Order: sequence, then structure tokens, then C-alpha cells
Amino acid sequence: MTRRTAASAHPNTLTTEPHAMHATRRTTLLALAGLAVLATGCETNKVSSPVIRFDRQTTNYGDAKGVELVTNEFGSTDLQMIAEKMTGSLLETGIFQGRPTVTISTVKNKTSEYIDTTNVMNSIQTALVKSGKVRFTRSIQEMQAGVDELTRQNQSGLYKQGTTAKVGKMTAAKFSVEGELTSIVKQNSQTKDVYYKFTLKLFDVEEGTIEWQDEKEIRKTTKK
Amino acid sequence: MPALFRTAALCGALLLCQTASAQLFRPADNAPPSPPAVAAKLASRGELKGIRVYEMRMVRRNDVLVVEADISNTLNDDRFVYYRFKWVDAGGMQVGDGESWKQLKVMGQQVQTVKAVAPNSNGADFRLEFNVE
Repeated sequence: MTRRTAASAHPNTLTTEPHAMHATRRTTLLALAGLAVLATGCETNKVSSPVIRFDRQTTNYGDAKGVELVTNEFGSTDLQMIAEKMTGSLLETGIFQGRPTVTISTVKNKTSEYIDTTNVMNSIQTALVKSGKVRFTRSIQEMQAGVDELTRQNQSGLYKQGTTAKVGKMTAAKFSVEGELTSIVKQNSQTKDVYYKFTLKLFDVEEGTIEWQDEKEIRKTTKK
Repeated sequence: MPALFRTAALCGALLLCQTASAQLFRPADNAPPSPPAVAAKLASRGELKGIRVYEMRMVRRNDVLVVEADISNTLNDDRFVYYRFKWVDAGGMQVGDGESWKQLKVMGQQVQTVKAVAPNSNGADFRLEFNVE
């Protein structure tokens, strides 16, 4: 109503201004619509990668095997990659012909981070046990629980004769596995670079010789 | 107000031009496809963006299947490939819990070899799952 009144007061602007306004609006709308169509078109071509990042602040159950890129500290993907490489290398060499017995010895963490190295060895042990190519004996850490159970069965007087596990029947390990994790960290104002090296050795317990050895190198670089 | 609309229209048009030029000047992925024997072992998702697998080697070593695949970047731009091997037995059932995904940087015109070993003797065949970022 206001525009019509103003237009009638100024006949010259009556025909030009509303048309110009409409034309500009139409251009804007067309441009925005075109942009939206293009953006939608671009979106549909993308597929998501199996990565773990803080892209959006929601909680979901993710892929436990996804590539974890939250920080460049030692993470689940490093653990999984180390376990897979070591297991694959051990199985490929054929050192486990005849299902020998193996025990887990020490795993040294020589990095500056707190890392539960037992977790790495557990993953390797799980994969090897599931391969059916090897038998594991109790490690030093697991031995006390085994001794306690034998003592309970044989000395508590609670169990029937003949059903108890006999003392002195454990199978000794032919091989012993020892690991070591080291890291080199370099950083400047823009970049942080971490290099991890996991070394695993398989010793013949009786002979004291290294029968197999392999290592996994991991480099992670973050831009700050 | 008209000035505001004009600015918005200009910004929109500029963005449109930028996106269009990015689309136009993006190097075309004209690389030949993987050979049929190799392609049968691939399970890719999305655009390949110049990434191809032309050669794979498979051998049974000490009763476990060992596989190597050559991942080639046919373009000049660096690419991140996310991949994993999936093992299946003779009946097509999955062997093991599934490998972890790995990130691999393949530089422009580079060929990277990836290797995997089946988790046990039951692994009779495999698929290489991957996508390109």
C-alpha cells in the first residue's frame, strides 16, 4: 500500500523501481538455488571414510576397526596394525610347524607415553591362538593364578580323588616372545611427528637363539 | 535492501563460479579399469579418484594365504586410501573377526604395495575393500 502511494506521487519511478527490485531478487534466488543444487550434487558423490574424528558432537557406536585419527598419540589403530603385522609375519614363516608351545615374556614400553603393552601382546596372542597353529602356556604374570588353582585342588581336601589336576604336569614353553615399543617425537610450532617402532622377537628357550624377529613402523604427523 | 540483495547475488554467483571451475578443472579420471580378474577381488566404495589396482599376487605359504596388491595413483594429486582385506573360506563365510581399516597415502603417480596374511588356514579367498579420500 505504501509503495503504491509513493509510486503515484512519483510517476517516473512507478514503472522502474519495483521491476528492478523483482529482477534483483529473482537473480539472488536463482543464484542461491543454483548453488544449492550444485552443493547437493557434490554431496551425493561423496562416500564416508572409516575414520574416527570429532566432526560433530554426538555419540554413536562406531566401527572398532576404523582408523582412529583423534590425536597422534598411540591409539587403537596402531595396536591393531601392530598385532596384524606380527601375527601375519609369524604365520607366514611357518615357524609354528607341529603346534609348539609359546609363552609371553616381557614387553618393554620405551616411549614417553603411558601405553598398556600387555594389550598389544594380548591381541597377538588371541590371533595366534585362533589360528590354531600354536599353544600358549601361562606367562610369568599368569602363573600365580595357575599355582593357586593347583594348590586349591590338591591341598584344600575339597575335591574327589582322581578329579584333581596333578601337580608337575604343566607343559613348558619351547618358545618365548619378547617385545619392545620405542618412539621418536619431533615437533615445531606447526607440526608434530611421532615415529613408533614395535619389535618382536621369538626366542628358543632351550637354545637361547632368536628364531624369528620382525618390526612394525608407524609414522603419524599432525598439523597444529 | 537492494544493495544487500545485489551483494548476496554477487557472492552466490562467485561461489557458483568457484565450484564450477573446481569441477571443470578437476583432472579427469580416465585411467583404464582394473583387469576383470583383479576387479573381481575388489570391493570399492564411491569415486576412485584415479586410484586403481592393476595387479594382485596370491600364494599359499605355510598353509596360510598371503596376498599382495599394488595400489596405483594414476593422477598427480596425493590421495588417502582406506583399505582392509576381508577373508572368506571355501564356502564364502567370513574368516576371523575382520581386519582393521588402514590409511595409506598414495602420492601422485605412485604405486604402493599392500600385503596381508589370512588369519588361519581356512582363508581360501579374499576381497580388498577400499575407498578414496
